Amino acid sequence: MKQDYFSANNIKYIDYKDIEILKKFLNPNGKIMNHKRTGVTSKNQRELASAIKHARFLGLLPFMVK
Amino acid sequence: MESMQDAEKEVEQNANSRVYELGYLLVPTIKEEDIVISYGNLKELILSFGGEIVSDEMPKIISLAYTMRKVASNVRSKFNTAYFGWIKFTMNAQKVLELKKKIDLDPNFVRFFILKTAKENTIAAKRFVRGNMVHRKSPTIKRSGDNKEVISINKDEIDKEIDAMVAV
Repeated sequence: MKQDYFSANNIKYIDYKDIEILKKFLNPNGKIMNHKRTGVTSKNQRELASAIKHARFLGLLPFMVK
Repeated sequence: MESMQDAEKEVEQNANSRVYELGYLLVPTIKEEDIVISYGNLKELILSFGGEIVSDEMPKIISLAYTMRKVASNVRSKFNTAYFGWIKFTMNAQKVLELKKKIDLDPNFVRFFILKTAKENTIAAKRFVRGNMVHRKSPTIKRSGDNKEVISINKDEIDKEIDAMVAV
């Protein structure tokens, strides 16, 4: 069983500015990975998704990669 | 009595205040020398709305992940780079709406948002974890070096033992 990345690294708040961490959960097209693939808890997956969306809005992450 | 009431009001305001984070992109047409001025103005604006600054970062120029468009006073402009910065502050919930309306009118902003957030510094903790993981790797390399020395000592002992065996 895959362990939750955020609880393993003791991350309580998923920040939209930490793009190096957020990039781990994007596929090559820039889409957010499925929770089955990420192995993240449901609560953290929801927070992760909103963090990625905030980062996209400010141009830190792409909406899609061609 | 008035001072008592003022004090009560202050306590109420503190109870209503929350931690917010303002993330923003400033237009790249601002010169690098002038960025400090607009950064200072933004801080003053937050303070004027009764906010207290918790932490912040100076706006830095970044290349955007995609081209942004903005229409300001009938002029359409495209941006591939912008100054990205953020400020964490505590403020009354109603004042934040006023602050948002004020920033909406500012032509220096490409985009911005205001989030509810935690007071603790969230980025530094993550960097520390990553640094730790890097340090963990280095001792394993040293250990392999130590093992070689141990093996060389063992060889002499083994030779002596073999000599002893042959003698018997």
